[in-house]
This record gives sequence, C-alpha cells and structure tokens, in this order.
Amino acid sequence: MTQTCLANTPLMRLVAVTRRFQLGETVVDALAGVSLDIQVGEFLAVWGPSGSGKSTLMNVLGLIDSPSSGEIWFDGAHVGHLSDDALTGFRAQRIGFVFQSFNLVPVLSAVENVALPLQIQGMPKPQALARAQDCLAEVGLETFAAFRPDRLSGGQRQRVAIARALSGSPSLVIADEPTANLDSENSRMVINLMRQMNQNHGVTFVFTTHDPRLLEHVDRKVLLRDGRIESDEVLQ
Amino acid sequence: MKLSTLMALSARGLMRNRRRGAVTLMAIAFGFAAISLFAGYTHNIYRGLSLQAIHGELLGHLTLSKRGMSREGKLDPERYLLTADEVQRLVALVQAERGVVLVTPRLALSGIVSNGRASTIFVAEGLDPEAARRLHSLPDGLTRRDARSDTGVQSLDRAQSEGVALAEGLAALLHLRQGDQAVVLSNTLGGQANALDISVNGLFNTGNAGTNDLYAFMPLELVRNLYDASGRADRLTVLLQSVDDTEATRQRLLEKLRAAGFDMEIRTWNELSAFYTQVHDMFDMIFGFIFSIVLTVVVMSVANSMGMAVVERTREIGTLRAIGLRRRGVIGLFTGEAALLVILGCAVGVALTFGVRYGINVADISYVPPNQTAPVPLLVDIDAMRMLFTALMMACVGTVAAWIPARRAARQPITDALGHV
Repeated sequence: MTQTCLANTPLMRLVAVTRRFQLGETVVDALAGVSLDIQVGEFLAVWGPSGSGKSTLMNVLGLIDSPSSGEIWFDGAHVGHLSDDALTGFRAQRIGFVFQSFNLVPVLSAVENVALPLQIQGMPKPQALARAQDCLAEVGLETFAAFRPDRLSGGQRQRVAIARALSGSPSLVIADEPTANLDSENSRMVINLMRQMNQNHGVTFVFTTHDPRLLEHVDRKVLLRDGRIESDEVLQ
Repeated sequence: MKLSTLMALSARGLMRNRRRGAVTLMAIAFGFAAISLFAGYTHNIYRGLSLQAIHGELLGHLTLSKRGMSREGKLDPERYLLTADEVQRLVALVQAERGVVLVTPRLALSGIVSNGRASTIFVAEGLDPEAARRLHSLPDGLTRRDARSDTGVQSLDRAQSEGVALAEGLAALLHLRQGDQAVVLSNTLGGQANALDISVNGLFNTGNAGTNDLYAFMPLELVRNLYDASGRADRLTVLLQSVDDTEATRQRLLEKLRAAGFDMEIRTWNELSAFYTQVHDMFDMIFGFIFSIVLTVVVMSVANSMGMAVVERTREIGTLRAIGLRRRGVIGLFTGEAALLVILGCAVGVALTFGVRYGINVADISYVPPNQTAPVPLLVDIDAMRMLFTALMMACVGTVAAWIPARRAARQPITDALGHV
C-alpha cells in the first residue's frame, strides 16, 4: 500500500475513521480505519470498485454522515462533536456539493438554484441572484439563467450544480460520481470545468469516479478497496 | 433562511403537483364555505330570534320586577306588584339612564274568555298601546322579514280601552272575528271575580303552536280594571338603543336602583326567551359537530397532500440539508406550504361563501320550522368572527398536519434522504 502525506496543515484530516452499517444481522464496515489528509487546493479523485466505500467516504468528508469511530478535523478544528445545526451551518459556509443526479430543485430556474445556498445562509435575494449570475457565467451558462432544470441537458444541469456548489465560496467541494450520469464528452467537460475552478479559485475538489480516463486530470488519486485506502498517489 | 425566502420556496412547492394541490385546495374551500354558510345561517337565525324576542314578543331588552316576583308573584301578587308610586319613581329613574329609549309598565293576567256560548282560558299581557307600538317597531334599517312574529299590538288603542288583540288560535276556538264582542273573566287582586266586555280589535299569530290558542294583548288600563289594581304593574319593560348595551345597562341600573332603595331584579331578553336560548344552544352544538367533521376532512386532505409531497421530495430534502438548510428550515418549508394552501383555500372559500349566500338570499326561500305556525325566510348573514375563527383553526390544524411528516423528513439522516428513490 502506498500512502503519501503532503506537508503543512491539511484542510481536512481523517484519523482512523470507521463507518459501520448494520444490514439485518450482518455488520458491514464501509470504512475500516481510513486516515487521510487533504491539502488546500488539491484536486483529488477517490476511485475504486463498487462497494469499496467511496460514497461513504464522500459523505464523511462532506460532514453529512458521522463516522462510527475516528476523528475528523477541518482546517485545524475538530468537527466530529458538532451538533447537527452547527454542522449544517459549517457545511453551508465551507463545503459545496455536486451530486451524481445533479439534485437541482425542479421548480427553480438555473440562477435560482445557484442562489439557493446563499439565500439559505440569509443573503438578500438581489445580491444572491447577482452572485449566482456570476457563477453561472463562470460555467458558461449565463444565457440559461432563466431555464428550469427540465429544459437543460445533463451536462448543463451538472454545470449548474457546480455553479451552485461554488456560489457560497466554499473551501471544499465534494463531488460524488459527478460524471456517472453523463456521456464521455460531457464527463470530460465537467471534470475540466471542476479543474478550471480549482485552479482559478484555489478551491479544493474531492470527487469519486469509476472512470479511469478521468484520473489523468487529477493531482492526486486515492484508491479505495474494501473500506481501506489501498493507494494514495500524488501525480505530477 | 429568511422567512420571505422560505415562503417564496413554499409557494413554488405548491406549484409542483397542481392537480393534487387543486384538489386539496378545493376540499379546504368547500369545507370553509360550508362552515361559513352554516355560521351565516345561524347568525341570521340568532338575529331574527333576538329581534323576535325583543320586538316581536315585546320583551324589550330588560325587564324589571321586585326581587322574587318571577318565582312567587303568582302566589302572592299583592306583595310583588309595584305600587303606582313605585311605578312612577322607577320609570323616572330608568328613563334618566343613558341609552334608554322607552320604559313602560305592564301587567300580566290570566282568566277565561267567553263568546257567550263557550269559553276558554287565556293569558294576556296588559300594555300601554302607544308604548307597545314603539316596543314592537324594529330598529332603523330592519324590516318585518328580519323579525318573525306579528303581535297585533297595532290594533290596541288608548282611546278604546276594551279593544284587545287575540291570538288567531284563541279566536278560532271561540269563532271570534275582528270586530266581535266577548267577555273576559278574571280574579281581582283581592280574589273576587270580575268580568268586563271586550272587543276584538285585531288578531295575530304568535308563530308558536303552543301559544297561538292562548295569548292575548290588552290595554294596560283594561287589565288594571280587571285586576282592580289602579296604577300598578308587575314589571317594567325597558327598550334600549342597542342590544349590545344590554348587560352594561343592567349592571348600571341595578346599582342605581339599589342606591335608591329598591330591591329589584333585572332580567335580560335572552334570559326571558327560553326559545332563543334553546335554539342558540342547539345550533351551537350542530355548528360544533359540523365544524369538527369539516376540520377533520381538511386535516386529512392537507396531511395526505403534504405527506405525499414529503415522500416525493425526500431526495430534495437531503440536498437542501446538505447545502445548509437546518432541520427547522425543512419543517418551515413544508408547514409554510400547508399554511399557504389553507390560506388560499380559505380565500376561495370566502368567494364561494359570498356567491352562494347571494344566491340563497335572492332566491326568497322560506320554510316552516318545527313547532311553528308561520313560514320563515331562509336567509344567510356573514358571520365575520366565526369565518375568521374557522380560517385560523384551519390554518393552525393544517399546519400541524404538515408539521408531522415534515418533522419526520427533517430528522432522517441526510445520506438516507439523498439515496431515496
């Protein structure tokens, strides 16, 4: 097993994290003692076969699931003990999400979807919409601002989702299989877009994929198997 | 999240499944209209009955008598009748009270009336004809359609002390018609029999089968003569400017009369009108029953609608929670939707209420209630207070109905919600 740790204080640190699920009478260790440092500005891919624990790791990294044991540190602060409300507030300010199925709100337009996280944080609507419009422009969808999700293609929806994830200026974006529902061209385009945002804004991206071709674009790739990190490679 | 944002999102949420939303909205609207129309109908009934009691039955707003007169007066009339001096002093005292339109003495009497061949019992009220006419006249803006009886007191005449008004059933028993002569027989205050000739000046329908063959109105002087009780009265009837002042005026008068040395009891029109109280209680009970049923239907509709919405949008709830919406925000989102749904439903219900009410009122429908002898019009008022109460109750209960599934959704793990298919 190869494991490489970068220097400096990590943006996120997992220490011996386990996540155990009870399925009937069977106990499944989705994560079995994962320790991982994620540095600021990294563009990191987590890959591995189905059932290896990629999504569980993404959920733990995104603070939407709690580990059965182990520690989670974010920007030097221990966040494992925070209450639900505190974690929710923390996510709103520091973490963006891109989902496999886009998960846009169908009754809101593209720009309203992008503005939603900002409005949830209490930003007045005019400012939120202005900021959302800028974000849409960054992903090349400014002319689709008024379109609802059902009038957008899969690639466009995922770009709206990326704009939404970035609208709150997060430190970290978690993307669980962001290209799984896209064709190869759109998949490449979405990965390139995330890479571009990572380089332009210094936002840390962690995403999962099962497509080995997309791994060519990353700084670092972590191979997960049976809930354990099998390899952790930093690429040039 | 700001409330305005929450409500805007809730409003968008309502537009998702329009058919289901429309069905729920119409259930609320029809339920609201049904309650409002029934409330308006009972309001009209109460108003009509109060007018009937105050003006139709000539009860006025307040009735003053010596304490104990209502219970013991028949057994010991001498003790409980007001003397001529007391009547004059009391009338002067009450007349000076603000809001008092009329104070008039009256004297009740029972006896036998005969056409010379047959006789039957009667119960009569002795009133000053002029005062009775004023008592009988309705407040400005109201018509006979609003009050539901005709007392025939217009036929009484100060200048014709033997002229009386008989209930139609009583007159029919003795084959008496307007203009016919008869004889009334009663006891004097001293217990001696006394008979006087009367002339049937008018006939009236009490509206009640139990009293229509019994009642009569007579000039006060005729009753006093029969009773041999010159200047005396058993009660004073007080008419006020507004029915709303009834209780306050009673309290003021009690104080005033006590200070003047009178030991009097004062009863309000609704205390004296058992029929009004019984009908009021009965309709209140029916209203409560209908209200409960409709409210249950509304709650079930809203709970079903919101429950389905929560299930359908579980993944969206997970997404919103992931991107920063707190649990109470999720609850607020769905309860806000329910509240908006109820408010919209009630608004449509108000429009329905006004439309149906207009249709009913112009249709000129009438019916004969149980134990009544004359038809009464079917009219519907607007009972704003009960409509407001209904809307508030529906909003509260509808919101609670949405709160339960929303709370359940908000508490489920985000990862489970995101994985929901």
